[in-house]
Amino acid sequence: MRRLCLVLAWLIAGLAAAQGARLPAEAVDAFHAALRNKDTAAALSLLDRGLVVFEFGGVDPTVEAYALTHLPFDMDLAVASQWKLETRRVGGEGNERWVLSTYRVTGKQADGTPIDQVTLETVIVRRTAGLFRIVHFHWSTSDAGFQARSQGQRTK
Amino acid sequence: MRFATRLAAAVLGSGIAFAQAGHDDVVRVDPALKRLAGMITALGEPDAEGRIYSFRGTPIGPPASTPKEYPPGELRGWRLTFLAGQRFSAAFEVQSNTDSEITVSAADGPLNGIALRDVFVAEEIELKR
Repeated sequence: MRRLCLVLAWLIAGLAAAQGARLPAEAVDAFHAALRNKDTAAALSLLDRGLVVFEFGGVDPTVEAYALTHLPFDMDLAVASQWKLETRRVGGEGNERWVLSTYRVTGKQADGTPIDQVTLETVIVRRTAGLFRIVHFHWSTSDAGFQARSQGQRTK
Repeated sequence: MRFATRLAAAVLGSGIAFAQAGHDDVVRVDPALKRLAGMITALGEPDAEGRIYSFRGTPIGPPASTPKEYPPGELRGWRLTFLAGQRFSAAFEVQSNTDSEITVSAADGPLNGIALRDVFVAEEIELKR
């Protein structure tokens, strides 16, 4: 009986810790805020377990793959740069919505080289239990040279 | 690539795990945190009430920057977040560690629900409660 209570307790604790957002765009903004705040758990809690990420020509096919391989870098970049929202459109209906955003990203690389580009972001969010979580990211850039260099790295 | 890292890549369904590819290589920024990822290799012994607060693990990641073992005692106070499994996104504070065993603080509840091959990351930052 004690073990059953224990299991229930941590299940309830897990649910209490789970996050999401009431509005589609809030899920996106909260994810970026979590990265900026170095809050890995908060960022993960905004991701649907079916997440697939397309990022500069590469694919993270599972949420776990993204969490392990690219989320840390996205957090590093979020901390080292400023993301100014320039445009946003939200659409879809029911429990599936999309959020299209462009950001002016500025900052400095580790060697002092400036970062200054426009990042294009497509996000699909899904609502479960009243909260939206992110099921797909697609990031690219309007900087053709940057995009080419990114994809070139993948073919090496 | 180490076996544990290859295994983690297979478990996570990623054929490119840990490859520094894409914008990671084009934009180089300082790490926001010191991190060590890992995979569970054995569960700790439960206490009399069935609560688990420890596990054995092995570091995973790029071979060039990943130690073969955890530096004993160095992860104390770090935040530990699960990146896979039932406890996905759950965060704990590391109370102590040896080269292969990590024990978390009881303040955040037990680790029950973790399983072999679950993947986690330990980060040098205080856990906010």
